[in-house]
Amino acid sequence: MISIDDIRAKAKDLLDSGAVKAVIGYGRGTAGYMARPVFLSRPEEAEELTWDPSCVHNLALYLTEGGKCQSSKNLAENGPVAIFAKGCDSRGLVVLLQENYLRRQDIHVIGLSCEDGGVLDEYKLATALDGRTALHVTFADHGDFRVTTRDGEVRVKAQEVLADRCLECRTAHPVIHDTLFGEAQPRAFKDPFHALTAFEAEAKANGTLWAFWEKTMERCIRCYACRSVCPMCYCDECVVDSIQMAVAPDTTPEEKANRIKWIERSNTNADTFGYHLVRAMHLAGRCVDCGECERVCPVNIPLRLLNTKLEKEALDMFDYRVGFDADKPSLVSSFNDRDPNDFIR
Amino acid sequence: MAKRTGVFVCHCGSNIAATVDCAKVAAELGKEETVVFSDDHVYMCSEPGQSAVANAIKDNKLDSVVISCCTPNLHEKTFRDVAQAAGISGFQCEIANIREQCAWVHKDKAEGTEKAIKISRSAVRRVRHNESLEPIKIPVTRRAMVVGGGIAGIQCALDLANAGLDVVLVEKQATIGGHMLQLSETFPTLDCSQCIISPKMVEVSKNPKVELMVYSEVQEVSGYVGNFKVKVLKKPTYVDPESCKICDDCASVCPTVVTNEYEHGLSQRRSIFIPYAQAIPATYTLDIEHCLGLNPIACGKCADACEAGAIDYDMQPKVVEVEVGAIVVATGFKLYGQDKMHEYGYGKFPDVLDGLQFERLLSASGPTGGQVLRPSDHKVPKSVVFIQCAGSRDPAEHCSWCSKICCMYTAKHAMLYKHHVPDGQSFIFYIDIRSGGKGYEEFVHRAVEQDDVMYLRGKVSRLYEEAGKLKVQGVDTISGQLVEIDADMVVLALAMEPSDGTAEIAKTLKIGLDKDGFLAEGHPKLKPVESVTAGIYLAGAAQGPKDIPETVSQASAAAAKVIGLLSKETLAHAPTVARVIPNLCTGCDMCVQACPYDAIKLSAAGKAQVNDVLCVGCGACSATCLRAAIEVRNTTPRQVYDMLTAALGG
Amino acid sequence: MVPDNSEAFQPKIVAFLCKWCSSAGSDLAGVSRMQYASNAVPITVNCSGGVSPLYIISAFSKGADGVLVSGCHPGDCHYMEGNYQARRKIYLLQKLVTFMGVEPERFQMSWVSAAEGAKYAKVMDEFTEQIRRLGPQTKLKARR
Repeated sequence: MISIDDIRAKAKDLLDSGAVKAVIGYGRGTAGYMARPVFLSRPEEAEELTWDPSCVHNLALYLTEGGKCQSSKNLAENGPVAIFAKGCDSRGLVVLLQENYLRRQDIHVIGLSCEDGGVLDEYKLATALDGRTALHVTFADHGDFRVTTRDGEVRVKAQEVLADRCLECRTAHPVIHDTLFGEAQPRAFKDPFHALTAFEAEAKANGTLWAFWEKTMERCIRCYACRSVCPMCYCDECVVDSIQMAVAPDTTPEEKANRIKWIERSNTNADTFGYHLVRAMHLAGRCVDCGECERVCPVNIPLRLLNTKLEKEALDMFDYRVGFDADKPSLVSSFNDRDPNDFIR
Repeated sequence: MAKRTGVFVCHCGSNIAATVDCAKVAAELGKEETVVFSDDHVYMCSEPGQSAVANAIKDNKLDSVVISCCTPNLHEKTFRDVAQAAGISGFQCEIANIREQCAWVHKDKAEGTEKAIKISRSAVRRVRHNESLEPIKIPVTRRAMVVGGGIAGIQCALDLANAGLDVVLVEKQATIGGHMLQLSETFPTLDCSQCIISPKMVEVSKNPKVELMVYSEVQEVSGYVGNFKVKVLKKPTYVDPESCKICDDCASVCPTVVTNEYEHGLSQRRSIFIPYAQAIPATYTLDIEHCLGLNPIACGKCADACEAGAIDYDMQPKVVEVEVGAIVVATGFKLYGQDKMHEYGYGKFPDVLDGLQFERLLSASGPTGGQVLRPSDHKVPKSVVFIQCAGSRDPAEHCSWCSKICCMYTAKHAMLYKHHVPDGQSFIFYIDIRSGGKGYEEFVHRAVEQDDVMYLRGKVSRLYEEAGKLKVQGVDTISGQLVEIDADMVVLALAMEPSDGTAEIAKTLKIGLDKDGFLAEGHPKLKPVESVTAGIYLAGAAQGPKDIPETVSQASAAAAKVIGLLSKETLAHAPTVARVIPNLCTGCDMCVQACPYDAIKLSAAGKAQVNDVLCVGCGACSATCLRAAIEVRNTTPRQVYDMLTAALGG
Repeated sequence: MVPDNSEAFQPKIVAFLCKWCSSAGSDLAGVSRMQYASNAVPITVNCSGGVSPLYIISAFSKGADGVLVSGCHPGDCHYMEGNYQARRKIYLLQKLVTFMGVEPERFQMSWVSAAEGAKYAKVMDEFTEQIRRLGPQTKLKARR
């Protein structure tokens, strides 16, 4: 069990000593029990930090705000920055390092091990509480969460309310860290890629793949929340967003006119599918399954299915594990003599 | 500035016009927004056709042209030169292939026309965004490499050296000379083979422009035309060629015995050996594979025996890097494995030989001193059966191709046999007689008329040993009779195959192989000595079965191509290379990793940077980039987008 | 499955051919006067490795009923590795597109060398027939 006092003390110490100029961590939320990201620059602010099952956010996102050039320049000038990272988040940091987004020396990674637990899923918690409103959730022992409600304290089995991705997770322990809290513990609630395999088995057996996606994607309103919350979607200009264009002082009118509209902004299936297909392709070998995209989708599109589909293919077919080795070449720029060939005439 | 494109649709006589309505294509293309001139013409590549293009450019102030005609492989350069001469960049000229990929493959005129319109429109939309590029000038290394030291490699090296070029000749074996050195006499003159090749071999070794590397192999090649870097592994011979006196003292004390591959298994040699008396370089070589060991405890007898002190056990393999501007591949042939001929005993019968083995028997410097003797009992064979097409022309079981030289050398073998064994009788089983060269037809007639060679038109179905004789069962289709011959010796004219290591060298050099595994020429008719890779040329039997005169012609032709290439001060490198859009680049390294040529690096500012000279425009970087931050000039994503629209009828 | 009225339906197919092998193989088919279905319009690229997944998705969005990508055999790529990279990207794209319910048969990759004119013609005919049986592609086609 990780002590919150230890966390606060460490953050305070890092800021006090000047080892870091800022800390990106989790703090108490302002509406309900959900934690929120906090950005601290003074040692006394460390008291705001929290660590509980509602710390679902992938804080690596905040290193990519403002576009690459700006943020990495920022970091170089205003860093180093300490950043809290769970297991999945730490792999996201590795991918950012792999892609030279930032320099290793610009971040001080405070690793938080999920140990034998994880973070919660809001809907599952609401179901478990059956009408009661949660005010605060903390880690308890014996694999439980302690929920403070208006009607008193309730214990729920963590396994019942853990986010889907936590149930499948095998990397609950941070893979990079400069400071580490918590211990790696064995955990295996569900098989890796459980949600994907269950879905695929059912859809293939009933022949409902297209029907499912057609119906599901009809809901997509192209709000781009999935893109906004993803640390890997840091491109200044998204190739499948026809109205976005990174304009520099020397951008000519011809360049603006010639900007390719691969996918338009209509929410017809053609454009929606196009957007999601390209996004999933661009995340192949880069997505660490932090689950944020699915969490923030206002219309509950099961985006994890798309991203984990390619993650599984990468693992099964190309032996590629995402976010472990910052020196490894990317998935799509490498190849192997033994890559699958049977699908080719 | 609005684009002004001219479209020219070629009839190619009736090649295109028979299945594509060219006038209609021209008319339709004329409706395109950026097309200000559109016309059709009977033969665009002819002088009037080319003039029509040049005049149209000038009269209509065109800034780009699309020629709808045959494959760009034939005439892209032709029309780019026309454009350039008429005052616009050659790279504003694009070819729409409506012949090989349309007119010639579709019979229905309506369908063909519709497709030709789509293909042409696609080219017009593409050229809209073409840049007026200028070729990139690159320096040229005025040195050539020849891989393979047979007659092809030797001839080529001499031609290059005589033109004043430095040449590096790399040969895998311990001597140059290849198969020609193994022959006794050559058709149709019955010239002594060694007498004609030896002076050339000596010339090669003495020519100051030629650096000879024997017992060496090409390991790695990088770079591009005009600027290749080749790594050559020089295997240690353990003998200093300058000091070796070829006295044979070492071999006479060597305790090992090895089947002599230079005599095709008909005799033995020692681990320390000289391949032939006429070997060049004139030195012994220590074959480490069969040597007992270089450690004096293991043996050391040869070094002790060598009075000249030429043996050096401390010699190490060396990898040398050579910079050359062009490479000629002349790696030759081998004979199809006798062990694959189930019809003729799988190579198990000692008295069934292949053509090269028979040459060694005939050769005065061969294992039998020029006497034709049976390997089994060293008796003189009185009846010899020659079987042509052993493995050739047999797509069902062996090789589908004709090996070209066997009819001639079998006739030669039969004649020479008669000269050696006047009371002997030779029989030749054949399917056809292919004797197309100068004096070849007359040569075959001599065999019949003067040397009593009996030709039997038919194949041998079975061959077996009985009571010391080889029973040959075949057929004579002209008389319609089954034939059985009790032969003392059988000689198989086995198919010619590319030599061992041809596939590997092709891969190392990035040159293609044809369907039979021979090195692929650039064009079957018009580019017989060029490979598919710029700067790499082919010569000799490695490219396909051929005889010595053809080999020598090809070798000289390849040399001429190299001399032409290296005569220029600079070479033009295609400028259709990759270009980074710094605005969009985040320096993620993916394109750097994807580039097969290491042509991209990250700059100090953290952005991708392309080396124009190393880049060949393959587009791997562009396809990998997630942000469209790198594209290939004149094949940009914008252009592909527009081509897709046109291809789908939009 | 969309009902097949193959009398009227002419598939629209785009074929990305690599310049050095597949386009040359296509040329050889032409030189040999082999006849095949005319539905596929070729777009010649320098290398199959230069074909971005974006192009393929865009082709479907523009109404292609089938997309073919053809390159050099493994080990023979004129640019050394392009076809290996293509193989990997296109494998992933095909898995994804199939996962979302689009018929995998609409999108094919092939290896055709410069010497394989006959194979090229065969691939063209077989692929066109395959697409004809599948009917028009509606799932990813944009209606503008």
